[in-house]
Amino acid sequence: MWLPGQGRSRFGFTVNYQFDWEPILESRALILEGLATTILLSLCALALASIIGVIVGTLASSRHKGARLGAAAIVELTRNIPLLIHMYIWYVGLAFLRLPPFLCGVLGLSVYSGAYVAEIVRAGIASVPDGQNKAALATGLTRLQALLLVVYPQALRIVAPSLGNVFSQLIKDSSLASAIAVMELTYQASAIEGQTFRTFEIYITICALYLLLVSAVTLALRLLAGPRDDAPAQELASA
Amino acid sequence: MSKPIIILEDVSKSYGAVPVLRGCSTAVSRGEVVVVCGPSGSGKSTLLQCINGLEPYQSGSILVEGVEVGAKKTDLPRLRTRIGMVFQHFELYPHMTALENVVLAQVHALRRSRKEAEARGRRLLDRVGLASKADTRPGKLSGGQQQRIAIARALALDPQAMLLDEPTSALDPEMITEVLDVLIELADEGMTMMVVTHEMGFARRVADRVIFMDQGEIIEDSPTKTFFSAPVSQRAKLFLSKILSH
Amino acid sequence: MPDVISQNMPFLLQGLVTTLRIAALTAIGGTLLGLAVGVAVQLRLPFVAGLLRVYIEFVRGTPLLVMLFICYFALPALMGLHVTAEQATVLGFVLFIAAYIAEDVRSGLRSIGSGLVRAALATGLTRLQSLRLIIVPLALRRIIPALFNQYVRLLKFTSVASVIGVQEFTGSAMLVNARVFAPVSILIFVALTYLILCLLLSSVGRVLHAYLAA
Repeated sequence: MWLPGQGRSRFGFTVNYQFDWEPILESRALILEGLATTILLSLCALALASIIGVIVGTLASSRHKGARLGAAAIVELTRNIPLLIHMYIWYVGLAFLRLPPFLCGVLGLSVYSGAYVAEIVRAGIASVPDGQNKAALATGLTRLQALLLVVYPQALRIVAPSLGNVFSQLIKDSSLASAIAVMELTYQASAIEGQTFRTFEIYITICALYLLLVSAVTLALRLLAGPRDDAPAQELASA
Repeated sequence: MSKPIIILEDVSKSYGAVPVLRGCSTAVSRGEVVVVCGPSGSGKSTLLQCINGLEPYQSGSILVEGVEVGAKKTDLPRLRTRIGMVFQHFELYPHMTALENVVLAQVHALRRSRKEAEARGRRLLDRVGLASKADTRPGKLSGGQQQRIAIARALALDPQAMLLDEPTSALDPEMITEVLDVLIELADEGMTMMVVTHEMGFARRVADRVIFMDQGEIIEDSPTKTFFSAPVSQRAKLFLSKILSH
Repeated sequence: MPDVISQNMPFLLQGLVTTLRIAALTAIGGTLLGLAVGVAVQLRLPFVAGLLRVYIEFVRGTPLLVMLFICYFALPALMGLHVTAEQATVLGFVLFIAAYIAEDVRSGLRSIGSGLVRAALATGLTRLQSLRLIIVPLALRRIIPALFNQYVRLLKFTSVASVIGVQEFTGSAMLVNARVFAPVSILIFVALTYLILCLLLSSVGRVLHAYLAA
């Protein structure tokens, strides 16, 4: 009830909207179901996008020109195609595979976001001084060990904020899965809106829920990255 | 002096069209201390990095304990555990404590147990006078302390030889001595070392031989005494006069 | 080119024109609004700055699709207006992208050292003059890459408008698919078209940046 129920607004049109939160409260089961699906969808896509991103990003930092070019091609190819098209590719284009909508959503989201993660991983690796890698190799570690034990941990600290941005973006992007019939938060909101016509209330509600999820991920990443007292380079251009 | 640990034969390397090493040949025997000097850009660091396979070379041969470094089938990680390396900018891992820095390769490259590695790590930190800093991260330590820890990290692998790439040139003047003292002690114990440095006092004191490089070539390779008293080449004379004038 | 594409080319091109129109309109609107909001927030204009911060945070926490739903369903319901899907799309995209551009503008402004501001003031320029003549032009040059990033995002976003029934490129393509069912060729065609457009747009950004930086 934070707006007048009726009356003439200064802008010259009639504000004729009665706020009523009751139907929203009654639909809480559907909303929670949608929220759960959104969380699951995001978590699956987040994990897969990270795997894709680390592999492609590492290839992009390779000494081999072929690997670098290949990685760059993958990144450009995937991130310059709209996410919705990514989802349609799995859901409509590869319909003969009969993948469930949820899986199509996960795949579309992960491949698309994976390109962004790859760019961040590449930048992160580049920001770790080459001497660190050399020092690790000089003590007899293998290339893989040097990456896992010395380069990645330092890169993660540096790119944690950018990674947080991409992950928040992923959660918000997951709303597009509603277009391929994944019954996540936005999908349920549309359904509830169709039944109750409480347009404003329902969208404000899910906005708040998305905001909550995004804040949770940002916080989690900040904790994961740990104290940054020893990070040499605290800033990195966002990818 | 026994048989050489490190043998270089006609090693050449270039970045594209730019030659960085030209026909370098030398050998380092067990227990020998060799100082490598020369103007910046003369290829000293590259030479060192080629010896443990951190930089590839295009022709010639480098043998470490009889193993060809550049050969495809060479197990570089194993070879590198036999040689300790110390860098100009320390290159301690900033996300680990001093002790973890010293322990890492012992556990992951040499497969020592963590307990054994930590015990040895603490002994070495004690030896470089930094036992109390075991749980401190490098960012909180002075340059001299960091370099001493880097030396401990290299020693932890029980290397047969040490390569030191300008170990004191990134240090503030008052910290140079503490690092050189550690190196002098190492030399006195008979550690085989190849040291790129401009510290001519140190060279005079511990080096058996001095190698002088310029423009990717080994110009002079003589016993220390000869090098300082009667350098053969004009370029070495000029270099010495510049570096010793102040 | 497969027959399904060539036979439906006029219809698809019509969709593409709509896509480009929406992208162009929202890029212009979003840049102007974003610039104004960014400068206002950075200048800490009393009252307004706080309100705009709320706007920025709200939009940056909201999925684009939800933003479109709000502009298409919620706002008109609230105000008793009728808007077409395309109008709602343009409004939604402008409000959406402006929040991101405002943040880019802010960091662009922040990246200009206080030394330069002092130098400008020292030559006798007023605060507003130094802002208009020195700071904003410099900041703009610096944020060109970020700006073009947003334009590329915007171009990709336009496909989302199909969800609320705008017949832009993606919407038209899916309509064609519903009629002739040739999803593979249609989606490949659509994906490649977006790919080429996005790559073109970002290279324009790169060229412009290089040109201005020189």
